[in-house]
Amino acid sequence: MLLQLNKIFKWVNVGGSRTFLLRDINLTVQQGEFISIMGPSGSGKSTLLHIIGMLDDADEGEYVFADQNVFKLKEKQRSQLYKQHIGFVFQAYHLIDELTVYENIETPLIYQDMKGSERKAVVADILDRFGIVGKKDLFPSQLSGGQQQLVGIARALASNPKVILADEPTGNLNSKQGEEIMELFKKLNKEDGVTIIQVTHSEKNASYGSRTIHLLDGRVDQIVNS
Amino acid sequence: MLRNYFKTAWKNLVSNKVYSIINISGLSIGLACCMLIILYNKDEVSFDRFHENAENIYRIVNTSYAEDGKAEGFNAVTGMMPGPSFKRSVPEVKDFVRVQEQDFTVKIGTKIFDQKAIYVDDNFFNVFSFPLISGNKTNALRDIYSVVLNEETAKKFFGASLSAMGRVIELPTGKEGAFENFTVTGIVPQSPQNSSIKLQMVLPIKLNMRSGLADNQWINFYLNTFVVLRPGADIKNVADKFRQVYKREAAEQIKEIKEKYDMKSTFEYGLQPLLDIHLSTKFAAMNGLQDGSNPIYSKILGGIAFFMLLIASINFINLTVARSLKRAKEIGVRKVVGGGRKQLIIQFLGESFILSFFSFVLAILLVLLVMPLFNSLSNKMLSFSYLLDTTLIAGYIALFVVTSLLAGFYPAIVLSGFNPVQTLYNRMPLSDKNYLSKGLVVLQFTLTTFLIIGTITIYLQFNYLANFNLGYNDKNLVAVATDQMKAGKVELFRQQLLQDPAINSVAVKNRWNWNTGAKVDGNDISFRIQVVDSSYFPVLQIPIVKGRNFSSAFPSDSTQSVLVNEAFVRKAGWKDISGKQVDFFYDSLKYNVIGVVKDYHYASLMEKIKPELFIMHPKYDYGLLLIKIKPANTSATLQHIEKVFKALMPFIPYQYDFKDAQNIRQYAAEEKWKQIILFAAILTIFISCIGLFGLATLAAEKRTKEIGIRKVLGASVASIAGTLSNSFVKLVLIAALIAFPAANFAIKKWMENYPYQVEINLWIFLFAGFVVLVIALATVSFQAIKAALANPVKSLRTE
Ligand SMILES: Nc1ncnc2c1ncn2[C@@H]1O[C@H](COP(=O)(O)OP(=O)(O)OP(=O)(O)O)[C@@H](O)[C@H]1O
Ligand SMILES: [Mg+2]
Repeated sequence: MLLQLNKIFKWVNVGGSRTFLLRDINLTVQQGEFISIMGPSGSGKSTLLHIIGMLDDADEGEYVFADQNVFKLKEKQRSQLYKQHIGFVFQAYHLIDELTVYENIETPLIYQDMKGSERKAVVADILDRFGIVGKKDLFPSQLSGGQQQLVGIARALASNPKVILADEPTGNLNSKQGEEIMELFKKLNKEDGVTIIQVTHSEKNASYGSRTIHLLDGRVDQIVNS
Repeated sequence: MLRNYFKTAWKNLVSNKVYSIINISGLSIGLACCMLIILYNKDEVSFDRFHENAENIYRIVNTSYAEDGKAEGFNAVTGMMPGPSFKRSVPEVKDFVRVQEQDFTVKIGTKIFDQKAIYVDDNFFNVFSFPLISGNKTNALRDIYSVVLNEETAKKFFGASLSAMGRVIELPTGKEGAFENFTVTGIVPQSPQNSSIKLQMVLPIKLNMRSGLADNQWINFYLNTFVVLRPGADIKNVADKFRQVYKREAAEQIKEIKEKYDMKSTFEYGLQPLLDIHLSTKFAAMNGLQDGSNPIYSKILGGIAFFMLLIASINFINLTVARSLKRAKEIGVRKVVGGGRKQLIIQFLGESFILSFFSFVLAILLVLLVMPLFNSLSNKMLSFSYLLDTTLIAGYIALFVVTSLLAGFYPAIVLSGFNPVQTLYNRMPLSDKNYLSKGLVVLQFTLTTFLIIGTITIYLQFNYLANFNLGYNDKNLVAVATDQMKAGKVELFRQQLLQDPAINSVAVKNRWNWNTGAKVDGNDISFRIQVVDSSYFPVLQIPIVKGRNFSSAFPSDSTQSVLVNEAFVRKAGWKDISGKQVDFFYDSLKYNVIGVVKDYHYASLMEKIKPELFIMHPKYDYGLLLIKIKPANTSATLQHIEKVFKALMPFIPYQYDFKDAQNIRQYAAEEKWKQIILFAAILTIFISCIGLFGLATLAAEKRTKEIGIRKVLGASVASIAGTLSNSFVKLVLIAALIAFPAANFAIKKWMENYPYQVEINLWIFLFAGFVVLVIALATVSFQAIKAALANPVKSLRTE
């Protein structure tokens, strides 16, 4: 078991009344799974992904990741856990505009205090794997959307995480580019055993996963195994 | 890792040029000011430290107490007696050296020089670490006819300093001013600039004690006596012993003086460390010790420099935080890819270090650039070599680190605290309620307003003093210092001077200020004594308000009559002067008061008018001619005066001065501070304004979309510029309200130094507030108008 969510609730207080963003979420994810999260806009998909990714806290419930109780960890330990095991991919890519492709991929390694020579090797390897060696000195603004997302995924993979969390990774891409990204995810999942949890609006993309979780108003509406 | 941080930081600086330039220029000005002040202060506290034995050298000082036990007088000097007496009776006193100043007329062949000199005991060069270029430090001054010169003086006398050894100069030290020969027995280099004793010409003090009339008075104050204590001596203990010695040895003298002069004061001898002399206002550097300074200057300068650095740091903080919205996404991404808060803090601190570093380098260049100007303003001789000193370098590095931390820490904390989910999903709370940043802007403008008010006040006070109605006419009045002379010589001068029709009249008075006391109606009264003749009041146009002037019609005037000023009458409590007498009981002389003159300010306006007494008794000497000339063709007139002077006083150097110019010079300190504060105010305004400019730029940028929408909805350029400027104007107004009472308080404190004060009106404050407002408005509205004029379609599209 990689991670488990028990009775997760999250809410915000707006003008005196409590609005629930997530209600009673229970979810167990095994190492090597490929999971899709679907649901209408505002149903809480991103919120759930952020909690899984430790970017956000729940207001109630328990979260166990790699046998550790995430909500009870100190900031430092949690950050350590996060750094080692989790990679994020966004719909809007979120590359650092001032840094080159190479430097963007290198950044997570720097925060892991990896030595310079080792970093070089890792980045070179990834550039090679993604076939973007020729683009390494370009800035994000000089790339197409698909290429930017490729760099985003490369960056997420640089620290060799157990799980990749992707929030509508193909949302800004045309269907051909989207397909390439999904193929890449499939390959990573199959060949490298990387656990993938993605949020998507497309049934087609969701079908790449082995399980699809449907959210509605912050609740798990239905879980479909394919 | 550091390389990567450096790289991002560098890219950030380059891609935000306006922001970087504002921060670097502000910080470098602030740092440069701080560096100069550190330099200034270092020089101040380094005074006299170069003497190897400095820690063990003390000056004997003396405090006098009034009848009620209150300290009333602080004498930094003594007579001849205390040095030898204390050495004899106090075992801790290893040695003593006396230093007395004297001006000389030096004759070399047919040439005459005016030269400052000091008399010293012959162990002088053993006690103080002044090296000799030639000559022997132990016996250079052993012979009574020996003299030690510094290189410059030797060059002045003989053309070259090297050949001066063994040459002869003549000094009027013999009977009745006869010239005697002195042999040059030593040459010293120019004394360090941070030395209270600056050697020009040094003579053995034995010379001064030849007359047989050895000074054995304890109550006598005119020369510096230094003692060398044994290392580890307890100062309190030594001072106690001084008191006992004084009590024992001076008892008889004191008794005698008390009886004869009806003296009520008591005296107490004490010690002052050599290293304290330079900055002491109580026991100041005098009588051969020079360049004494007031520590308040260090404080004012330090305060200004701190202000500036603070304002520059505030710019940095405000701009960095304001700009952080633009960087929010970068920060969010860094956190998402694993950047811990600590790592981000280090990164942002790194950026502020890089910025500070550039500012620091620039500041050093600035310091080198303005050093000459600063030297002339602060009366110093600081040089670049001063910068290369380990403690100073350590101080500068500390300054650099503190500035980087001060400016970088808060933004680093704020920026690293951003929640990545909020920043990446555009959920940043876009509140305009940044109280800290607003508070800092208020602080900046408070300081600015404060400095402007200070500058105006100093200007007004200076002009007030410079244009003060002195009560006498100092225009076209030439003052010529002479040797001591009696009425006969004065008459000779007067006759020959008046041969030039351009000379209207000639008055005469004593040369040095001189206070004394006497009895009126049986009570003691102290006053300044002025030795004049009947010409004094008409030439200076001082009205006589009661009685009459001295007159040749009353031959007894010269020995039996005096005039007094109004302050004297007030102090004496007289209603009428008829029959009043002033009793110089210790001389057994009584004078009739024949007239009262209107109060006038012959002395500096730094003191209140004192009681003055005017006398023409032949036992006193004259020493200053006051010559009223016609304003036209003054150079010919001055030539005539010089010719007459050379003929009548061939061995005295001729010096003249215009009295009105001399009066203005008394306020040189105010003039200097006026300039320093003005500079400070301008720089402060400049740094504040570039900061405001940056903030306005960012505010306008942040609101581009809002402005675009408003314009589409039909808002006018003026109304948009108004909304943008409004918030800043409010801050400036708040700043003014804080600055007014603070400035008022500071002005009151500063004005306490001046007995005559210009009136401070409310309009000064209002004017200062207005100036700051206009400057701020001009700065902000430039950006506001630019933003308001921008094409709304463009600004909306970029969102
Ligand atoms: N800080 C917040 N304060 C108030 N409401 C919030 C906050 N964050 C999220 N929400 C609300 O929570 C709900 C879920 O948001 P979330 O971003 O998870 O939706 P989503 O399923 O990802 O939608 P989409 O498909 O449009 O991305 C939304 O209704 C949103 O308005
Ligand atoms: Mg979403």
